[in-house]
Amino acid sequence: MGFPHKSHPRETPVLSTHFGDSEARSLSGWRARGGYRALEQALGMTPAEIVNVVKDSGLRGRGGAGFPTGLKWSFMKPGDGKPHYLCCNADESEPGTFKDREIMRWTPHALIEGCAIASHAIGAETCYIYIRGEFTEPLQTVGAALDEAYRDGILGKSAMGTGKRIDIYIHKGAGAYICGEETALMNSIEGRRGNPRIKPPFPAVAGLFGQPTTINNVETLAAVPPILTNGAEWYKAMSLSNPKSTGTKLFSVCGNIARPGNYEVTMGFPFREFLHDICGGARPGHTLKAVIPGGSSVPIQTMQEADATLMDYEGFVANGSMLGSGGVIVFDDSVCMVRMIGRLARFYAHESCAQCTQCREGTAWVTKILERMENGGGTTRDLDTLLELSENMTGKTICVLSDSCAAPVVSGIQKFRHEFEAHINGKRCPMRSAAAA
Amino acid sequence: MATLTVNGTDVTVRDGATILDAARQIGIDVPTLCWYPTLPIVGNCRVCLVSVEGSAKLLPACATTAADGMKVTTESYAAVENRRGVLGMLLERYPAERIDERGAQNEFERMVKRYGVSVENRSGLPLRAGDDRAGDPMIQHDMSTCILCTRCVRACADIQVVGVLDVAYRGDHAEIIVGADGNPEHAGCTWCGECVRVCPTGAIHDVLPLAKFARDAMQKPATSVRSVCPYCGVGCQLDLEVRGTDVVRVNSPWIEEATPNMGSTCVKGRFGTDFVLHRDRLTTPLIRKGWVKRDGRWRYEGDPADVKRWGRRGGPWRDIEGESNTQKSRPRINPLRRLPTVGGPLGDPRDRVATPADWYEPFREGTWEEAMEIVAQELTRLRDSHGSDSLAVFCSAKCSNEENYVLQRLFRAGIGTNNVDHCTRLCHSSSVSAMQRAMNTSAASGSMREVECESDVIFLLGANTTESHPVFGAALKRAQRRGAKLIVADPRRIELAQRADIHLQMLPGTDVALLNAMLHHVIHLGLHDQAFIRERTHGFDEVARAVEPYTPERAETISGIPAHLIRRAAELYARGPRSSTLWAMGLTQHRTGTDIVASLLNLILATGMIGRWGAAMLPIRGQNNVQGASDVGAIPMVYTDYQPVTDPSIRHRFAQAWGVPDERLSLTPGLKVTQIVTKGSPVRGMYIMGENPIISDPDVAHAEEWFLGLEFLAVHDLFLTETARYADVVLPGASFAEKDGTYVNTERRVQLARKAIPAPGAARGDLEILLELSNRIGLPTPFSTAADVMEEIASVTPSWRGITHARLQETGGLQYPVEHATHPGTAFLFADRFPTADGKATLVPVEFLPPAELPDEEFPFWMNTGRQLYHWHTGTMTRRSQGLDSREPVPTVELSPADAAEMGVRDGDAVRITSRRNSIEIAVRLSPRVARHQVFVPMHYREAAANLLTNPALDPYAHIPEFKVCAVRIEPVAPGRHRALSVERIEPLVPAD
Ligand SMILES: Cc1cc2nc3c(=O)[nH]c(=O)nc-3n(C[C@H](O)[C@H](O)[C@H](O)COP(=O)(O)O)c2cc1C
Ligand code: SF4
Ligand code: SF4
Ligand code: FES
Repeated sequence: MGFPHKSHPRETPVLSTHFGDSEARSLSGWRARGGYRALEQALGMTPAEIVNVVKDSGLRGRGGAGFPTGLKWSFMKPGDGKPHYLCCNADESEPGTFKDREIMRWTPHALIEGCAIASHAIGAETCYIYIRGEFTEPLQTVGAALDEAYRDGILGKSAMGTGKRIDIYIHKGAGAYICGEETALMNSIEGRRGNPRIKPPFPAVAGLFGQPTTINNVETLAAVPPILTNGAEWYKAMSLSNPKSTGTKLFSVCGNIARPGNYEVTMGFPFREFLHDICGGARPGHTLKAVIPGGSSVPIQTMQEADATLMDYEGFVANGSMLGSGGVIVFDDSVCMVRMIGRLARFYAHESCAQCTQCREGTAWVTKILERMENGGGTTRDLDTLLELSENMTGKTICVLSDSCAAPVVSGIQKFRHEFEAHINGKRCPMRSAAAA
Repeated sequence: MATLTVNGTDVTVRDGATILDAARQIGIDVPTLCWYPTLPIVGNCRVCLVSVEGSAKLLPACATTAADGMKVTTESYAAVENRRGVLGMLLERYPAERIDERGAQNEFERMVKRYGVSVENRSGLPLRAGDDRAGDPMIQHDMSTCILCTRCVRACADIQVVGVLDVAYRGDHAEIIVGADGNPEHAGCTWCGECVRVCPTGAIHDVLPLAKFARDAMQKPATSVRSVCPYCGVGCQLDLEVRGTDVVRVNSPWIEEATPNMGSTCVKGRFGTDFVLHRDRLTTPLIRKGWVKRDGRWRYEGDPADVKRWGRRGGPWRDIEGESNTQKSRPRINPLRRLPTVGGPLGDPRDRVATPADWYEPFREGTWEEAMEIVAQELTRLRDSHGSDSLAVFCSAKCSNEENYVLQRLFRAGIGTNNVDHCTRLCHSSSVSAMQRAMNTSAASGSMREVECESDVIFLLGANTTESHPVFGAALKRAQRRGAKLIVADPRRIELAQRADIHLQMLPGTDVALLNAMLHHVIHLGLHDQAFIRERTHGFDEVARAVEPYTPERAETISGIPAHLIRRAAELYARGPRSSTLWAMGLTQHRTGTDIVASLLNLILATGMIGRWGAAMLPIRGQNNVQGASDVGAIPMVYTDYQPVTDPSIRHRFAQAWGVPDERLSLTPGLKVTQIVTKGSPVRGMYIMGENPIISDPDVAHAEEWFLGLEFLAVHDLFLTETARYADVVLPGASFAEKDGTYVNTERRVQLARKAIPAPGAARGDLEILLELSNRIGLPTPFSTAADVMEEIASVTPSWRGITHARLQETGGLQYPVEHATHPGTAFLFADRFPTADGKATLVPVEFLPPAELPDEEFPFWMNTGRQLYHWHTGTMTRRSQGLDSREPVPTVELSPADAAEMGVRDGDAVRITSRRNSIEIAVRLSPRVARHQVFVPMHYREAAANLLTNPALDPYAHIPEFKVCAVRIEPVAPGRHRALSVERIEPLVPAD
């Protein structure tokens, strides 16, 4: 299927197979499509066996950092006498990213199944799905699916009658981007202010309520059931580039592009063909100028860089950016880069939890300069200040929100310096005046 | 243990230490802003980042655990660049111009200077904002200088366990807020000023000094003098910031210093010492008009018209009974001392005058020569004509050990009487008599720190610690957060009771029933410590028999506490494993006070909850030196160290030390406070130092009458107190800030307070006054300083043998016993024996006896009395402190909302409270803390003196009056609102839960 367009023939739908298929939302519909077989299978396996399968599959975190999932799970020491927790990160607030939303809208049971398997694998009896507060529809669909799963005995005191307890709760976010950061998310669930915590200790040692915790993205967890049903080899085989990036990845595409939407491709798919064939390329009469390939927190790519990229974790890094969350934001020649980066900076300034000096002050200061520059009030010295501030904001804070703000600024100035200079020299935005003329 | 290298120097640190700890250990100063000792580490300012070999990123020194083999460089290029970046960003929204104008004034500004950061290229972001506490009398905010380090937030939440402050909003809008609505009151603020102490920029600052002193006073160079707080028995050390001859600010010592308060204070310590500068201070001796000198002798020849008008020792004032019908008066002028007033945003703080102008009328100013002559002449005259025991002295729990020692020495050796007592009689005398009987001790067995850090169970009885001993109260809250279980026995649902794991809310005065039942249950379950009982006690079997009839069910009928709670509390306490027992006035101020404490001691001894680290027995002392005054012999039965006056060999030793013949010292124990101030007492003349019995004695209307009948009265005080009005001679003494001396806190810690400023006008140091008086009545004193006096005290006080002022200068306190000159002091006692003849303690069976006066149809309410957070005893000091008095300006009675509704009175309405003895008018404060048919009246207000109502029934052993229970009637007073409330507000108490 596919949503909102039919699947493109060059896509490899695994997670998105049932997007647009409203019957897949119900338990019976999901069962009819092979659902919950993986869980049944998993409950018959030992946790270590599951962890090994996931390790072998090469699955890596889809929330942004790309950490190997099996390895993360293996940090949860069995039999340490402490309660373990699983958190599912469904806070998806990264600008340009909307893949988790679709998973929850169309295949809520896939997520629940993934959560249940992961819970078993890490020895957790309790899982929290932290869903972004603005996601009213996903909240509703996942909620309804949970009810069904409980009613059917899939979850609860004795999951699928195995005597193993698995409880899943939904925790509704309240509109803060920072609560998607894993430790801020835990604070938020605990009822505290959503501030990221200093690490170490890492969540696997002391996470939610101070207990060992694993946190995974929605897409990561939803990928687990098919891996169990089809085997690690099957998943690992899905790679067009290198063995470190395996499986399929959902990319959310938005911006100045002919067919925005979610597309699922095999790791290592050529980015150029993705943009032009699958997504339809530029809008008529425009040419593409730049792309942010992994959600707003990664560096901007020029089209040259993008054209050379194979879409996997390493491929984006090799070409001046990162895979991130897979939120592809496309810009064509109608976009003023100064204005665009200023908007992004404003987002981060607004969303900083305000603990770290560099982040709290830096994001605000950068925004202030960029907005002034956009309006023609910038100086060459401002560019130095921006780079200095960005330098101070990178690698020095508790979480990486600060770095995320610096990334587009630094890459923007490096790759599109002429646009900044045009603003400075012309004392106004050249594009706006062009439009006005 | 880890060994690492910091800036090339090897250092070995304990496990879990941070890089910062390692650097500090070898004296390397890594700049920090958000880090503060003992506060949770949040690592948010990012100024302390350092380079560590092998780490691509800079690491926060404050939050990174030191590991073996680490190579740390604290001032690497990258670290310094980051630091400059951080400081530059903070400076961006800081009023940085002032650093150039006035130089670096605070921690943050000094750091900015150190790294040579300045503001160029302003971003145009606004200065920071935040809640401002506008108009607050003690703490205000200037949030433009806040750097959001969140120290204040954590200090409030984690040290004081209150949680008034927080960070609100995100990003560049983030700011410090005060509660949800900006009102500190609603958020439970106690004005302790912990936030003031930790703030690195002065964004949160104390407001008093600025208002009180003209700018130039604040510009004088400051010195800092270490002192001891003049209020409660916690004995917080304070640093007095002195400019010129004024104490302009009170700071608390650095948090890592080994002070009892570990850097904290409560509102009284930090903001309540401005009474020292109050214009009511006596600056010259006052002599009652009518004293004239003829033929070398002074005699009283009062103007017959005056005497007719006022009586021999009266005046134009109303007596306390009459006071209770007036509003607190606030004349602007002290007729004896016309001082220019200083302007300020809050007006002249000294205007909240508590001494009414007409109180000075019966007096004239005198010289010291005149005053001392009269006092010496009258004391010797009465001694010679009516015998030594016609004289008595009240020493003072607020004066130093040295002063109390010299004063009791003066009366014992100079006058020849043991009629020496002080207000310990009214507070812990029953504890002392019970502890003496059970284990021959008169002080706490353990320390506050051990309760905070070690005890598993804390049993708190009759003590409103968060208000009466706030710094210790905070420590108890920290203990509970650490995991200690808290059991509170109190008729009121006070803050700690609300937090407690078990609240035993009893009817007043029914403690014996409760405690006997707890012991009953402990024995029933076999939870008593049989080995301890066998090896270290006598009398268990009798006590076991005595408590047999006290089933929890029977205790329930007597005390009103559900039997299951009594059982749970008993089990929790007995299972410990380390339970500490704390109590205060709620147990002692009963006519059965000694019995009540004895029943508690039985429980302690039967469960063996004493003599181990973490199992402390701690009567919480009320005053800064009530322990010390008793220790140095200011009580009628004993010399220093509780050595009985009845023992001729002990008398001989003291006679030798004091250079008098043995016969000069009386072998008869003297009279106690409550035996002195009573009809038919043989006392005709008195010397009162720093006490105010006219407000603090029970049934004061009668006490006042008694004082009127005295032949001679000398009062030695800071102010013309309610008691001093009746004096013949009033001697102006020195406040705690104006003299050297030592004080003993509730955990037997002897601490030295140093002189910071001169006494005002002709007022003199108390020791100086007493030494001169001693010389004048013919008891020569070989001392000239307090240190000299301490030498003599140490020589006659075995457990203080090793204490000298020189040692106290260095150590900041020694817990006695201090056996010799290098002995480190004793943190806890009775590890293997009690100081009795055979080393064993004795359990004493006690039976429940109800309070002397119970509610009936005519007087249907139980009245309880006690302290409030913002005031202190008779209000002599606190009501002259601007900040404190503005927080609690009106006498209020706590009345349960249900009772109020029945009576049809609202918050702030006036009611009349009447007991069998007297009646007062007071404003209503609806309070969910009091149970139905119970009311609580604070003791601090002369215009509604609780002690007009109290019952003078006495404990047979300790002669402590039953302050805590009497029966009263409550009636609304027309026209409704309390008259003082036209100008003042009543603040609600924090509602329960
Ligand atoms: C500021 C910030 C916001 C984040 N927001 C999200 C988010 O919305 N969803 C998400 O899955 N991960 C988010 N992350 C990443 C998470 O911290 C974490 O790495 C992820 O949930 C781990 O899951 P994974 O291993 O399955 O990728 C965010 C990280 C940061 C620093
Ligand atoms: S980097 Fe920013 S968002 Fe992350 S913890 Fe620091 S202040 Fe908060
Ligand atoms: S008010 Fe002071 S202590 Fe509180 S956050 Fe601001 S600078 Fe820090
Ligand atoms: S002092 Fe270490 S981060 Fe603030």
